[in-house]
Amino acid sequence: MAQSAQFDTFTMERTFAAPLARVFQAFSDPHEKKRWFAEGAEHEIEQYDMQFEVGGRELARYRFKPGTPFAGVALESDGYFLDIVPQHRLVAAATMAMGGRRFSASLHTFEFFSDESDSTRLIFTHQAMYGDGADGPALRRIGWQVLLDQLHATLGVK
Amino acid sequence: MNKVLAIQTDAADPVFAALGDATRRAIVKLVAQGPQSVSSLAAALNVTLTAISQHLRVLQTCGILQTRKVGRVRVCELDGHGLDVLAQWVAVNRRMWEQRFDALDAILQEDAKEK
Repeated sequence: MAQSAQFDTFTMERTFAAPLARVFQAFSDPHEKKRWFAEGAEHEIEQYDMQFEVGGRELARYRFKPGTPFAGVALESDGYFLDIVPQHRLVAAATMAMGGRRFSASLHTFEFFSDESDSTRLIFTHQAMYGDGADGPALRRIGWQVLLDQLHATLGVK
Repeated sequence: MNKVLAIQTDAADPVFAALGDATRRAIVKLVAQGPQSVSSLAAALNVTLTAISQHLRVLQTCGILQTRKVGRVRVCELDGHGLDVLAQWVAVNRRMWEQRFDALDAILQEDAKEK
């Protein structure tokens, strides 16, 4: 049965010690973007393709490695670029699916600011809709994992 | 402690109290992988059924776990009401993006060194 949609927005601000043109290249070059966006210790990348143009697709398919809490589970992020203003702003829309089931759709806005010549400030705004499956067993397990990790970190216990 | 409290302010105290015990944390870890029978929990953690039952009562009271009868076996599983699962997933999402930006930062620093 369909659940009603739930919404969440968060913003992150980061400053990188590199000129704006260099930072923007890490977003526009598919090989560079794959390195920071798709690679991770807990999953294999089964596919990563990005066409950096308005309407271009960014498709990432992952599978969690053996020995991780979600071993063998497939995670897919499928998005499109809605707006590209070079060295200024990027807007993309993407869905996420786990085990073949889509559970969220989100709008990602990246704003780039060159406050100083050798550093770049990035403001990332993540606006998301969580739908069917966002309360599913796989996500519940991830949620618990996070809680326990936080608990371990805060209490300093193993 | 702030992160956890922010996620579930009203329910945090009993959850913390319940998870302050190593055996109860071990129970939650096992059950988080999938439903477990009470006897398999006792066997896995090498404690008596009585002790497990006492721990389960504490975990049930604060909404971390629930138990139900399947035939003659009492099965223990995570209770979705104990925590706001969506808030947890949002936290996962945030953490994922933080890790991505950390990775980007590392790449940018790497090529600063190469110069």
